[in-house]
Amino acid sequence: MTATGGRRVRRTLLYAALIGTSLLMIGPFYWALSTSFKPSADIFASPPKWIPDPWTLENYRDVFTLLPFPRYFLNSVIVTSAIVGLNIVFDTAAAYAFAKLRFPGRDVLFFLLLITLMVPFQVNLIPLYRIMVRLHDISPLLGVGTYSAMIMPSMIQVFGIFLMRQFMRSIPDEILESARVDGASEFKILWKVVIPLAAPGIATLAIFTFLGAWNDFLWPLLVTNSDETRTLPVGLALLARRNTVNWGQTMAGTTFLAGPMILMFLILQRRFIEGLTAGSLKG
Amino acid sequence: MRFSVRWFVVIASLALVATSCTGDEEGNGGTTSPGASPEPVTITVVDYYGEATPISEEVIAAFEGEYPWITVKYEAGDWDSMREKFTVRVTSGDSPDVATMDMTWIPTFASEAIFADLSELSGGELNGAPITDEYSEGAVEAMTFDDHYVTMMFDFDAYALYYRADQFEDKGIDVPTNWDELSAAAEQLAEDTNGDGKNDKYMFEVYGNDCFHWCQFLFQAGGSILNEEHTAAAFDSEAGLTALEYHKSFLDNGSGVYWGDAEGEPIRGIKDERIGMFLDGPYYMGLLKDGAPDQSGMWKVAPAPYSVEPGSYLGGTGLSIPVNAPNPEEAWLFVQYMLRLEQQIGVYTLAGAAPATEAALGSPELTQEEEYFGGQAPFPIFADTMAIATHFPYVEQWDPIDTIIGTMVESVMLGESAPQEALTDAAAKVNEELAG
Amino acid sequence: MRASAIPTKTVRRRPLKGRWRRYVAGYVLIAPALLAAGLFLFVPIVLSGYWSLTEYSGLGEPEWVGLTNYIELFGNDLFLKALLNTFLFVLIGMGIGPVLGFLSALLLNSTVRFRGFFRAAYFVPVMTSLVVVATIWKILLQQQGVINQALSFFGLPGHAWLSDPSTALPAVVATSIWQGFGFETVVFLAALQGIPRELYDAARVDGASYWQQVRHITLPAMRPTIMFVYIIGIIGSFQVYDQVFVMTEGGPINSTRTLVFDLVDRFQQLELGEASAVAYVLLAILAFLSYVQIFVFERERG
Repeated sequence: MTATGGRRVRRTLLYAALIGTSLLMIGPFYWALSTSFKPSADIFASPPKWIPDPWTLENYRDVFTLLPFPRYFLNSVIVTSAIVGLNIVFDTAAAYAFAKLRFPGRDVLFFLLLITLMVPFQVNLIPLYRIMVRLHDISPLLGVGTYSAMIMPSMIQVFGIFLMRQFMRSIPDEILESARVDGASEFKILWKVVIPLAAPGIATLAIFTFLGAWNDFLWPLLVTNSDETRTLPVGLALLARRNTVNWGQTMAGTTFLAGPMILMFLILQRRFIEGLTAGSLKG
Repeated sequence: MRFSVRWFVVIASLALVATSCTGDEEGNGGTTSPGASPEPVTITVVDYYGEATPISEEVIAAFEGEYPWITVKYEAGDWDSMREKFTVRVTSGDSPDVATMDMTWIPTFASEAIFADLSELSGGELNGAPITDEYSEGAVEAMTFDDHYVTMMFDFDAYALYYRADQFEDKGIDVPTNWDELSAAAEQLAEDTNGDGKNDKYMFEVYGNDCFHWCQFLFQAGGSILNEEHTAAAFDSEAGLTALEYHKSFLDNGSGVYWGDAEGEPIRGIKDERIGMFLDGPYYMGLLKDGAPDQSGMWKVAPAPYSVEPGSYLGGTGLSIPVNAPNPEEAWLFVQYMLRLEQQIGVYTLAGAAPATEAALGSPELTQEEEYFGGQAPFPIFADTMAIATHFPYVEQWDPIDTIIGTMVESVMLGESAPQEALTDAAAKVNEELAG
Repeated sequence: MRASAIPTKTVRRRPLKGRWRRYVAGYVLIAPALLAAGLFLFVPIVLSGYWSLTEYSGLGEPEWVGLTNYIELFGNDLFLKALLNTFLFVLIGMGIGPVLGFLSALLLNSTVRFRGFFRAAYFVPVMTSLVVVATIWKILLQQQGVINQALSFFGLPGHAWLSDPSTALPAVVATSIWQGFGFETVVFLAALQGIPRELYDAARVDGASYWQQVRHITLPAMRPTIMFVYIIGIIGSFQVYDQVFVMTEGGPINSTRTLVFDLVDRFQQLELGEASAVAYVLLAILAFLSYVQIFVFERERG
């Protein structure tokens, strides 16, 4: 760092860059939010009204009355929580094995899993749907039209395993070795030593998994046929009418879809980023 | 919870290994002859009208009242995702019993034999009367594929001319009946209100990138999309060239405004008065009322002007029964029910679309004078249009052909290619599709 | 296996037992993941592989045609256009995205106030589904939309971004970058935090400038992270679909038609064989690229 004057200039530029890009990031969302409070006549007013005036709750009211909104929200919460829970358990377990344990076929198996990421999921839709239909024939609690249809295919995410494996790799082997020497079983090591160290990684995994599951549209669309199991993104799509879109309602729906995520991130981000800072990656 | 999931997965994978890849559904065929008390049957009905559907709770309740052994499991869908979901379901042995089909999907699905033979199911009759009596000739033809009915038209779509009657009056314009008059009217109608030398108000909407809006010009010039045997393109004819050049002429002389995806929905252009004339279908009546209520009384409808003969595309929605539907007979009962006059009128009142049966089109509810249209009764004009409308060719490759034509129109409208070469190119591609 | 100071007798027993225990633990720990992947990923993928060698409408039985689908694809204009568009998309997107992410991570790593707020701001677009993002940007980019209005405020001409074949793809890429680089920012930031301060202190003492420090300390230390970001990023970018579907539907004039869009299109036309073939071409491309990336990164490390 050079002389104080240069430093000040640098800091000003820094702040300017940060503020500028932040506005760019948030701007469109603010627009969407404000649109959700505008009466339809004003949505495309020119010049654009940044602050809704007059403002109205009719879009939100519409969304709530036209759709069984709380039910969709509940369904989303149930499905997403289940997926996140299962992923935390299974992805972490598998990642530890792939990262720190040696066993025959380990790299081949990991590579095979990686391959599955390279196939677009759209191509799996029909076979997967058929599996779900068969499961439903086996039991009405499984398969098409149930929560399980949405939860099971997503109960592990190869991306999640990959992510956790990266985190785990940086855990020094010495710690594990000394635990083994002390006679701990692998599972105990995982539970008592690895998981606390990988906590920020798990937080990251939780956030990304939650993201994917909460916003998932196509698969839940296919496997849900009634309001009882429909999740939020699918339900909101029903707002669309043929040949026309009510932007005010759509933006209100969008706010509900994105809102909880953003809120959750804002609340957790301190822990999440601080966890990263805590230096588990420092090694 | 962890354990039970694991077990289910193990069992499921074993079951899957044992039974995969057959793709056949063994649903309950559940049909009975009338007389004896029928076994209870549940039919699944899927549509894409979203929350503004004519298949309302009341309609369903009334149907179940009339047919007490049938329970209707109604599943709402939306237009955008309907097709994909339907495809996945039907090809996975999980077919609904009744589904709404956009008429432009019929060629692809029908040529893969996805639909049940409605000629057989119906015996040629709808609610006791011959099907040919219930529908116009054009509709009957549109519902037929390979000599049998594959769908029953539920709502229809054909284009007529919407115009700002108040502006016509102010500017002394006569309602155009042919292409020359339409061009003249467009030029007289358009205005330059901000003095920059270009028209910016009351222009003619030139919808630029699909076959719906352009093919009507092709038909009106006496042309057709494919030859009669459906083995080669026929739109690269004199008529096609004329039609393309005509469509473009509005943009060239400034009386038209190009409308593509970037401009958003046309209703916005209508609302801020950039558009003063456009060609579109009956559902726009509802859209106008909802989206531009302040323009009530200013709009009127007229038959689309033509050059050689009147023409329009014919589309809309049909009710179909998949070939592997679990309960086709009951499904047919439901289809007939939805085609009764009362439910058909509901198509307009609830969904803002135009019903397809002749009875509905002639009914007093739909032939009323409307305040929005300055005292005119707009429906009869659309009903008449149905008589001269042509459906798109029912070939297996319709979807790619549709895309090729739409792309061709778009490239000409955007000035990327000259009409003749665009036509020749597109025709060559279409021929390739048809051959392959 | 590390050399240890434990006496020979124990060494003979321990490694065997320990290794065996680790094998078992390894298999048990990956079992749930493999079972789930097996049923829900491998079975569909293998089935699609089979279908890619057939002509299949989804109804009836698949008809074996061997490599015909693949051969025809490479003579098919739409598919080739999709291939080109997708490559362009990935090149631009992965060229710009991670760089922006890295720069932002550097910015955020420095001592500024309100760091939490800025971090959140960068990450907010990533939090939102692609469909939502694409919908919002579609409206913003319209002829009469906010972007053009902002441009005219600065005296610049507006443009029909999504209607012009030469600007449509860049517009879609820009939207994707906007949505995604927050992810790279967060990942890079986490990695940055893990670099020991002492290294920088030492470099500063030696008189290294900021950018020299970045080049010689930061980048090398972040190599595994960079590799991770690129591999995941490329795999993801190649499969772009949602934005295209919402914003342009493959147009105008197929200028935004991507591989997955092409694939879904073929599905809709009940050409399951062709669609599966597109998927496998994509798989082959990605497998090749991933292999190359890993190879390059590993070699440089050695």
